[in-house]
Amino acid sequence: MTDIARAALPIDLGGGPFAVTTRGLAKRFGAVRALDGLDLQVPEGAVYVLVGPNGAGKSTLIRTLMGLVRYQAGAVSVLGRDPADRGAKVRADIGYVPEDYRFGYAWMTVGRWLEHQAVYHPSWDAEYARQLGKRYEIEPGRKCHTLSKGQSRRVQLLAALAHRPPLLLLDEPTDGLDHVVRDETLSILSEHLADSPTTVVISTHRVYEVEPLVDHVGVLSEGRLLGQLPRDELRGSLLRYWADVPEGWSGPGELGGRVVKRSGAARAIEWTVWGDRDVVTRGLSEAGAAVREVAPLSVDEAAVALLSETSREAS
Amino acid sequence: MKIRLSHADGRPLYVQIMDEVRSGLVRGTLRPEDPLPSVRELSSSLRVNPRTVSQAYAALERDGVVLVRHGKGTFVAPGVRPDERERPRLAREVARRALADASRNGLALADLMTALREVEGGDPHRDGDGSKEGGQ
Repeated sequence: MTDIARAALPIDLGGGPFAVTTRGLAKRFGAVRALDGLDLQVPEGAVYVLVGPNGAGKSTLIRTLMGLVRYQAGAVSVLGRDPADRGAKVRADIGYVPEDYRFGYAWMTVGRWLEHQAVYHPSWDAEYARQLGKRYEIEPGRKCHTLSKGQSRRVQLLAALAHRPPLLLLDEPTDGLDHVVRDETLSILSEHLADSPTTVVISTHRVYEVEPLVDHVGVLSEGRLLGQLPRDELRGSLLRYWADVPEGWSGPGELGGRVVKRSGAARAIEWTVWGDRDVVTRGLSEAGAAVREVAPLSVDEAAVALLSETSREAS
Repeated sequence: MKIRLSHADGRPLYVQIMDEVRSGLVRGTLRPEDPLPSVRELSSSLRVNPRTVSQAYAALERDGVVLVRHGKGTFVAPGVRPDERERPRLAREVARRALADASRNGLALADLMTALREVEGGDPHRDGDGSKEGGQ
């Protein structure tokens, strides 16, 4: 069991085309390895969510893709360019919502700040910006430093979307938004994706808030990916099995899948297993377990299962 | 047409959209030649990825339930006969869910059938015709 238990989830998304890739990407801050040999693959047109605990490297990765952090080893391609030497060009093609909701030019009014953004993005769509401003109830006369966290987020989202960039990098985009505005944001993003061909990378602790939009998932831990795969594949192959088992049951010798998480009481088990549903069900049944239910996990639940497995192995 | 999704449901979102369209046909709220909402409208109102809606529409088109008229949108196929195909199909889907729920609770098919008859009105001679799930 231990050999298969060390195997990772799929990490190679195949041939592409990819909007963003990194190979062996590494970044240290002093003694801390923020990114540790990271191989990211974001397919063109994907909505890719990066999940992982605090300090896993999510924001560092996004800032590296923006050319705001210099990496020390590996290779990065963002829309065909290396942000390390074409930073300004790369940034012009990206809609970016930073983790930090404070503004660099806090003394500006919101209207002035948006004009400033429009200059940096030649494809700025003024009419679309006006519509978004209306939906987000943005007040152009307000000074940026007087905005609440949620109001700042709305201004940042508007600025990221209004130039209809080929790539959106959204770092905790729903942070600070109330329920109604978050719901409106999902609606805005759905329409945006229907109208403009866009690749989206979202980093978030609140996957459930954006899950209906997501079609690819990357699980990040300690600067490395534990897995990177289409949402449908995760849904189809990482499953929770509920089964009734005899007293003192020790499990199958060979399951044909990898047990990510075991829990349950004496005669009823709840296992999270990566593997083919039919093969795993047969493996459990042949070992004497009566499988009562098999169900997929939400992205949140999957991330928790995978990340708790890693921390168990490390301890 | 009102489509409802549940994120707690085990079925993928695109399958839920397909089942909702089929259920609309069976209930008669959707009829042949009716237009379906555009991918943009539906994804926006459901707050899902437009690709999920496209995937559902494409699969429904393969099944002959809907028809894409280029430049005009997606319509319920003119030849759809909900009672011949969609009703039994939906009934099987509902039966599958009921069976899975029964099995989760340690109940056998016979227990479920008995209980269904009792709940329906206690007439043991009425066999399930597959449409007993009809809402309130």
